[in-house]
Amino acid sequence: MIKDIKKRGQEEIVGFVVIVVIVSVILLVLLSFLIRNPSEEIVNNYEVESFIQSALQYTSECEDSTEFLAVQDLIIACSEKTICLDDKDSCNVLNETIKGLITKAWNVGEGSAVRGYKFSVSEDEVGTLLIKEGNETSNYKGAVQPFARRGKEYEVFLNIYE
Amino acid sequence: MVARTPNRFNSKKGQLKIQQMAFMLIAIFLLFILAGMFFLSINLYNVRKTAVNLEEQNSMLLVSKLANSPEFSCGNSFGTSRLNCIDFDKLIVLEDKKEEYAELWGVAKIEIRKIFPRDDTICSYENYPDCGVIKIVDKKVNTLPASSNFVSLCRKEANERMIYDKCELALLMISSEDKT
Repeated sequence: MIKDIKKRGQEEIVGFVVIVVIVSVILLVLLSFLIRNPSEEIVNNYEVESFIQSALQYTSECEDSTEFLAVQDLIIACSEKTICLDDKDSCNVLNETIKGLITKAWNVGEGSAVRGYKFSVSEDEVGTLLIKEGNETSNYKGAVQPFARRGKEYEVFLNIYE
Repeated sequence: MVARTPNRFNSKKGQLKIQQMAFMLIAIFLLFILAGMFFLSINLYNVRKTAVNLEEQNSMLLVSKLANSPEFSCGNSFGTSRLNCIDFDKLIVLEDKKEEYAELWGVAKIEIRKIFPRDDTICSYENYPDCGVIKIVDKKVNTLPASSNFVSLCRKEANERMIYDKCELALLMISSEDKT
């Protein structure tokens, strides 16, 4: 009789302890996930936005009769198939300039946190230029910068893939 | 001998009950502590997330505010008014008077670094504009990680034919003093 009661009591305690241990382990696992520092963003949307704004102001190597063209003017020159003063194709200069700007600013490539990028320009909602490099992932930051010139509306898009 | 049996039985049963109760109390206490820590960490996580967002917003605002402040901005010197455009000519003058402006912006470090084309030469009157790093505020204190944003670094340039606007890509970096 005593043995039976003792055994039953022990079983109850063991059962209870097991439940407490399981619940504790689950809570501890969840706790460790929550206590971890929130991961710092590698790229922020505002950085991409300010990058586009600054890149559009960059003075390129393409010169017309009055000045060296900024990237924004070079986009228009490229869509109008203009040739620079030194006989270079404006679209080639635009391509090289954009690639150089993005590569230096974001350090795109193997071993870098930035896996790739996609830069595109649309004129009156029709895509006119697309430059991309690296891998496109689902985790990306992007921005768009619209501007208008000579009755046409341009939009510059940039996605940076992490 | 016969009379002692119920007492022993009762005593053993009582001990078992006390042991059971002690285990129960310890387990419940542990459970409550863990549950409390769990909810506390949820709150802490949310507070930390909000702090990170606020810090990011603050840095972004500060960098934008600085880039567009009269001491830095291009104004109308390069045609129309531009956003995130810094006048390199103004910076070199500011660099020369950095002691006078050290307290104006309330930060420990302000640095502008040219990234395209990349140039790591520290700027001075002697090598301007063939340089790429300019330090406007540089207090010798412990600082928090720098906040940065892209800016356009513009100046007037001349060749044999004309004077033109030359804008390059740069990074404006700001660090606050670490007071912890």
